[in-house]
Amino acid sequence: MSRDELNIKDNTSLFKEERYVQQRENKKQFEAPCSEQETAEALAYSKSAEYMEKNFSRQNVVINPHKACQPLGSVMAALGFEKTLPFVHGSQGCNAYFRSHLSRHFKEPTPSVSTSMTEDAAVFGGMNNLIDGLENSVALYKPEMVAICTTCMAEVIGDDLNSFIGNARIKGVISEEYPVAYCNTPSFVGSHITGYDAMIKGILSYLYTRSGIESHPGSGAESGEKLNVMLGFEPYTGNFAELRKILGAFDTKYTILGDHSGNYDSPATGEYEYYYGGTKLADVPQAANALATLSLQKYTLKKTQEYISGTWNQQLAALSTPLGIKGTDTLLATISELTGLPVPAMLTEERGRVVDALMDSHPYLHGKRVALVGDPDLLIGLIGFCLETGMEPVHIICSNGDVDYNEVKFKDEAEALLAASPYGTEATVHVGKDLWHMRSLLLNDKVDLAIGSSHLKFAAKDAEVPLVRVGFPIFDRHHMHRYPIIGYQGTLNLLSLIVNTILQQLDDHNSGFNFELVR
Amino acid sequence: MDPLRQDEFDSQACGSIAPKAKPCPRPKPGEAVGGCSFDGAQITLLPIMDAAHLVHGPIACAGNSWESRGTLSSGPSLSQYGFATDLTDSDIIFGGEKKLKDSIDYIAGRFAPPAIFVYSTCVTALTGEDMDAVCKEAADRIGIPVIPVNSPGFVGSKNLGNRLAGDALLQYVIGTGEPEPETDLGVNLIGEYNIAGEMWDIEKLMNSAGIAVTSRITGDARYKEITWAHRARVNMVVCSRALLGLAKEMESRYGIPYFEGSFYGAKETTYSLRQMAYLMNDREMERRVDRLTEREEARLGQELRPYRKLLRGKRAVLYTGGVKSWSVISALKELGVQVVGVGTNKSTEDDVRRIADRVGDDTEYIPEGGASRIIKTVRERKADIMIAGGRNMYVAMKEQIPFIDINQERHKAYAGYEGLLRLAKELTYSLANPIWKLAASPAPWDKEAPPYDR
Repeated sequence: MSRDELNIKDNTSLFKEERYVQQRENKKQFEAPCSEQETAEALAYSKSAEYMEKNFSRQNVVINPHKACQPLGSVMAALGFEKTLPFVHGSQGCNAYFRSHLSRHFKEPTPSVSTSMTEDAAVFGGMNNLIDGLENSVALYKPEMVAICTTCMAEVIGDDLNSFIGNARIKGVISEEYPVAYCNTPSFVGSHITGYDAMIKGILSYLYTRSGIESHPGSGAESGEKLNVMLGFEPYTGNFAELRKILGAFDTKYTILGDHSGNYDSPATGEYEYYYGGTKLADVPQAANALATLSLQKYTLKKTQEYISGTWNQQLAALSTPLGIKGTDTLLATISELTGLPVPAMLTEERGRVVDALMDSHPYLHGKRVALVGDPDLLIGLIGFCLETGMEPVHIICSNGDVDYNEVKFKDEAEALLAASPYGTEATVHVGKDLWHMRSLLLNDKVDLAIGSSHLKFAAKDAEVPLVRVGFPIFDRHHMHRYPIIGYQGTLNLLSLIVNTILQQLDDHNSGFNFELVR
Repeated sequence: MDPLRQDEFDSQACGSIAPKAKPCPRPKPGEAVGGCSFDGAQITLLPIMDAAHLVHGPIACAGNSWESRGTLSSGPSLSQYGFATDLTDSDIIFGGEKKLKDSIDYIAGRFAPPAIFVYSTCVTALTGEDMDAVCKEAADRIGIPVIPVNSPGFVGSKNLGNRLAGDALLQYVIGTGEPEPETDLGVNLIGEYNIAGEMWDIEKLMNSAGIAVTSRITGDARYKEITWAHRARVNMVVCSRALLGLAKEMESRYGIPYFEGSFYGAKETTYSLRQMAYLMNDREMERRVDRLTEREEARLGQELRPYRKLLRGKRAVLYTGGVKSWSVISALKELGVQVVGVGTNKSTEDDVRRIADRVGDDTEYIPEGGASRIIKTVRERKADIMIAGGRNMYVAMKEQIPFIDINQERHKAYAGYEGLLRLAKELTYSLANPIWKLAASPAPWDKEAPPYDR
């Protein structure tokens, strides 16, 4: 049966029918008793410059947050390893949120369990929950490793994961050899990127220490040819594929440390498994003897990077999300430098094609004023991309941008990047602000385009600015995460997305006399 | 909040029989389980659309949850805003009460809501903040109700949170206002959250029978209408697990009779409307209801005919929470769909009994979560379709099982007579999609049969 025969109305069309409209009218009697005029005035005031000032002096309440909490990042990190079960120590709701959040973004199931702590655990500590939880989850989901992160609750009552896991072993719930990595991730500190970092570091250090392997960088089995690569809190499975393509073109051997693309881009074969892909556990200790580590989210992976250059004593190159031509150039130059291999001709050619595409589109991009919201590393990449295409970043909000790497703060790097270009002169970088701040900015100082996650859609709609969805989370569009945004190919994808949004706007808002076929 | 009250509370509100045999089950560590009490409390109260909802805690609880349920509003949208105090480590050490006070003041000053609901979280409950006192003091100062909702995540499951939210309504909201003298008093709808606009279908139906809705608790509600819920003549409990306790308490406090009902399926809908008229003790209304339900059922019978033909004998596994388990079974039965497996993890004893009344012996009960358990039932019982919520949807896709979403993320309203028609259409549509055939056939060069023959 076809859709037309069925005539199913969804709630966008259904409730426009007269009888529902009438019903809504009738309901106004219950609403706060202020006149339509007052409502209109209040709305207008909320869009004014006067209100913007008040909004920016707001200290104590967050309105429409643009960050998630640490353990959410930890769950994503844990899913980057082979047959590893994310295990959240705390009350059960947190875990339900993480599963929904990640599943809604990737449109894939998220296996993750919780210790489901309740009031008695709040009083007596969560040890019994953790021990029971380990026993149950290992029996039910048969993981090869469990990766435990904490929540606010466990942190406030001060649960000691190390001793609890030890006690679980003593009680025989898990064997002495069974790998259980862990990290502490209270949500009242940091954000999802801090939690991602904590879990990656937790897993790397745990698997390395217990292996007994000594660190001799460059002495690995592949006689020093192998490269470690970390992508960080990565909402794009397509970025993993793109990176593999690039490394494959270089013909270098590599290990991706933390690869959740398998879990979040698995085929529909007719049988669901809990675990798809991921970094092999045995590869982790070996990674200590790799030639070097390349990190693609330097602010996100701060502690992991410190660990690698410290304990592993390994050469480390840390970049932000390699986006745009220059961003990708830096990536390729870095790989070439670390491995001693030349940049393959295939990539140079691809670069040329994408530069060509950028040239084709540049008349529609030049001078477009843009608002940006995202995580720090993504924003550095996006700012770079905007500047090289002639788009002008105006408002930049980074809720979790209070981070530094090697004592350079995100805000300072972003501002230096902007200051170095004539297209960056109008930009202001706001750290620690939320999407209600962004709403004021969009309404008071108009832009042509907003770039950010789905959460930004409310403010963008209020300000009548088209939104290009980039980053995390993207709940209301399908399959965006399958297309890479890094590398030359990713740059091309991003370009297409942006320029076609602009062209669509041109058509949508066209009065007719210049409704043209050729753009 | 009073600690460790859960068991006592369970025995009162978790179903009318044998609370010892099945109290609100405590979540089992190490399983993939559902939401927490904080989540549950928010779910119950967020559909009060014109109120502000402020989460007092670290960013997680608000940052992970705002604007993530499809509960629709016909007007105000303040409830869609994610307000949070965003506590950081220094607030944990030195206390977040000042921050809370300032946040309340800011929201009151800027958004002028009719009321502010303040939710405690694990952290603020553990650090022992006196949220009740801060709210009371703020309410006195700013002159609007500021309602503390003491439902931190760790006290238990989502269902318990629903009920704690009901408690907050009883303690702070219901009975604090009076309707206009000329208001036509009727029925409170309790535990109906207007997912995908279902409340609007129900309301339209009730209005056609001349039954007034007094308060919506809480689908598409306005704060004010809940303050006079105690003046209603009848309470209908749409989701029993969540807010049965509220109805019971209102019966003893205000003498309002209640009944448990559902709007899924024509039979249940007719029963619910009749029950309303009966409890209002109004013969004229009963006659009107009879005329309306007869007419609607006849019309529905006609319109359903082609779908019944297509759906007859189809087998479904239903995995959803509480009330929907039994009431959706009724709806499916009317369409000729056989329920071969049903989730009971969130059902009360009463709910389970209702399930048993509606399904044959050949139905498997799925007591606890875990995707593999549901999938196993689908396979073993050779089900044609899986009806569940968002967290299980993608597992069904991996297994190439036709699926429809019955939980909070759905975009189709299935309540009432028209809802049943919509459900029939959705089921047909989902089963008939060509993608299942495509998915079930191997690639042309791959001779191997697919793992599951359908």
